[in-house]
Amino acid sequence: MNKDKRIIDYDALVIGAGIAGGETALNLANNGYKVLLVEKDRSIGGKMILLSKVFPTLDCAACITTPKVSEIARHKNITIFTESEVTNITKNVENKFTAQITKKPRYVHVEDCTACQLCEKVCPVNVRDQYQFGLIGRKAAFIPFSIANPKAAAIDIENCTLCGACEKVCPTHCIDFTMETEYYELHAKTVIMATGFNLFDPLEMPRYGYNQYKNVITSMQMEREIAPTRPYNTILRPGDGKVPDKIAYVLCVGSRDKTVGNPICSQVCCMYSIKQAQLLMGALPMADVTIYYINIRSFGKGFEEFYQQAKGMGVNFIKGKIAKITEKENGNLILRYEDINEGVLKEAEHDMVVLSVGAKSNPTAKTIFDNGTLKFDQLNFIAQSDLMESPSKTNIDGVFVAGTASGPMDIPDSILSAGSASSEAISYLIQNELA
Amino acid sequence: MATKINPAFSKELKKYGTVNMNACYNCGTCTAICSLSTNDESFPREMVRNSVLGLEDEIKSSLKPWECYYCGECTTNCPQEANPGELMMSLRRWLTAKYDWTGLSGLLYKSLPLTILAMAIVFVAVLFFADSVSYNLEQMLHFGHYFEIIAIGIMMVVIFLPNLLTMWYFTIVKTNTKVPFKYYFTALKDLFVNMFTQKRSKDCDEKNNFRWLEHLVLVLSYLSLLFTTVFLNWFATNNVFVIIFGYVVSLLIFMVTIHFVSDRVKKNKSLNKFSQPSDWFFVIWLLLMGITAFLVRLFIDIDLLESNKWMYIIHLTVLAQWAIIIVPFGKWTHFLYRSFGMYFAKLKSIKGTK
Repeated sequence: MNKDKRIIDYDALVIGAGIAGGETALNLANNGYKVLLVEKDRSIGGKMILLSKVFPTLDCAACITTPKVSEIARHKNITIFTESEVTNITKNVENKFTAQITKKPRYVHVEDCTACQLCEKVCPVNVRDQYQFGLIGRKAAFIPFSIANPKAAAIDIENCTLCGACEKVCPTHCIDFTMETEYYELHAKTVIMATGFNLFDPLEMPRYGYNQYKNVITSMQMEREIAPTRPYNTILRPGDGKVPDKIAYVLCVGSRDKTVGNPICSQVCCMYSIKQAQLLMGALPMADVTIYYINIRSFGKGFEEFYQQAKGMGVNFIKGKIAKITEKENGNLILRYEDINEGVLKEAEHDMVVLSVGAKSNPTAKTIFDNGTLKFDQLNFIAQSDLMESPSKTNIDGVFVAGTASGPMDIPDSILSAGSASSEAISYLIQNELA
Repeated sequence: MATKINPAFSKELKKYGTVNMNACYNCGTCTAICSLSTNDESFPREMVRNSVLGLEDEIKSSLKPWECYYCGECTTNCPQEANPGELMMSLRRWLTAKYDWTGLSGLLYKSLPLTILAMAIVFVAVLFFADSVSYNLEQMLHFGHYFEIIAIGIMMVVIFLPNLLTMWYFTIVKTNTKVPFKYYFTALKDLFVNMFTQKRSKDCDEKNNFRWLEHLVLVLSYLSLLFTTVFLNWFATNNVFVIIFGYVVSLLIFMVTIHFVSDRVKKNKSLNKFSQPSDWFFVIWLLLMGITAFLVRLFIDIDLLESNKWMYIIHLTVLAQWAIIIVPFGKWTHFLYRSFGMYFAKLKSIKGTK
């Protein structure tokens, strides 16, 4: 293994190519630094590229993300490793980090692929599409999603039957099953952690019946249903394909809840639910949308106005957390809650329920540095050694944090955080060059 | 009239066993997850709120604490770990103290040393009595038999009757509920059904009725043992059927209480996690009642009691402590107040007033 290890040199290593990592890489690259951007997924763009619109401006998320992603991908100072993971980083001295990187094979030569999709057509394997959050299926030879970058086919080797049909049909012969995992040793002067967050898994709360009741979906699934590149081209409930007309949002699913080990507010769920409610009111003018909340936290610039706008559009807001959901025979759902303003226990029937899932830390961030050298907070987000003075700094000089790797935050804050991380990184690089 | 809030009330309630109730952020999960809470009678969040604000009058006039059977679902699912189940339990203790005109309930709930002192005084009194009759077994048995009847009678008239009237005053009279007189009789069925079967607690968990069944066995065994010893004079009878019946019920009490004690030691359910001294005294003394009664009758049957009078003295001590302290001022009263709580709730529901 060691003899195959390739040694590479960059100024900066950015881990995670979501909106924060991408922005950081772009800032560094525009200042003339050579950046290696490492992404574990098949496409860069993170979670934002899969969203419908963004709050509170209702701008199309793809329309903001796609040009940015293209700029990152085409930048002469940025090298992107997708399907890659940083397995270890050690700091030797100031300005000298050594990172071990594993790059998994895509079984497709990206530079030759024209994204013609012929391989998708012939592939006999059907599996759930994780980029549509399981709402529809995809093939084992597939283009991850329509605005993916790199826009190239990939082989899902775990589900592939190795029938060879895609290889035969590919007009550019870019499919190559002989590709192997590549190992790299990277020498970099600074490291930026932009490892992002994980969505809360509602299976941890069986009383909401996710995966058990078909018409209970997560907010990310609803996000896909209303995105421009949506799977059904309309809004349907997954159980029977009916267009829903009474939709409920359950807020604080996996946030502010000690029973699932996440006592903090995820900061985005109130606002994305209000955004989705507004979009649903536009897409399904006859539908009732009800948001069940504990407290509406509309603290950011333009957020309160956005909340009031939703109220004005006729979105129902009911104070009371949903305690449990039961399913009726026709697939409708009964939500049991206490109406806090009236102090009365109530039950409401809805034909579709959206669980507004919260944000949890990404546990893989913890495995990168040797035991305990990089500090994490109690909830396993990367600790900021001086939150007030320089929120992008970690406890290790030369290692910075950008975006939700340090805690839940919305898109504007992630981008601000990325700006801060990149300028901190640049000043670190300059100081050590002079020294 | 303006309602005054009293934040100091939470300190007072803490002495009755509340845990972390001020963490509540009023999401209502507890009320909506509760199997016993209904559209007309929603709890426990309302009670948590009243407690946090210190609205004593609201709590005193409410029957909701008695409608809760501590299934524990609220506590298990509370996102703030504010422990609403334990709060309802503490409110029952607090209400017991408020109903009690002697004020002893409150003192004993709040102070473990006082409880131990009271138990010790009863023990010394029993020893004095035994000494005064020169440890004559016949006289002791005779007295023990009448002690039970008299103690029950006195407690009924002097303690429970006035206390139940206080409860009625707080919950019916003060809330301006006008109940026609005849309903007091028609609702009696509910009183007795709830008293003897605690059928409401069956709704706690639809799948598992074992806890309810166990409780039912305990209540029925306890009442049977009382009946056997007081009216059938178990320790003096020669009737084989009565003797065997007494053995069976005392053994049942012992078995069920052993299980309850071990659950409290293991803390395996949310209702067992925070045991107060009053809970321990209740289950342990019930256990001791069962085992000592069983042993006394066994000693009689194998002719050992005459040479082992200490066995009877122990039993008499347990009995006296039970009848004078735990029954009138301890957790036993919950059994009575809960049944009457349901009865009063029924009266209110007939009227349809809140």
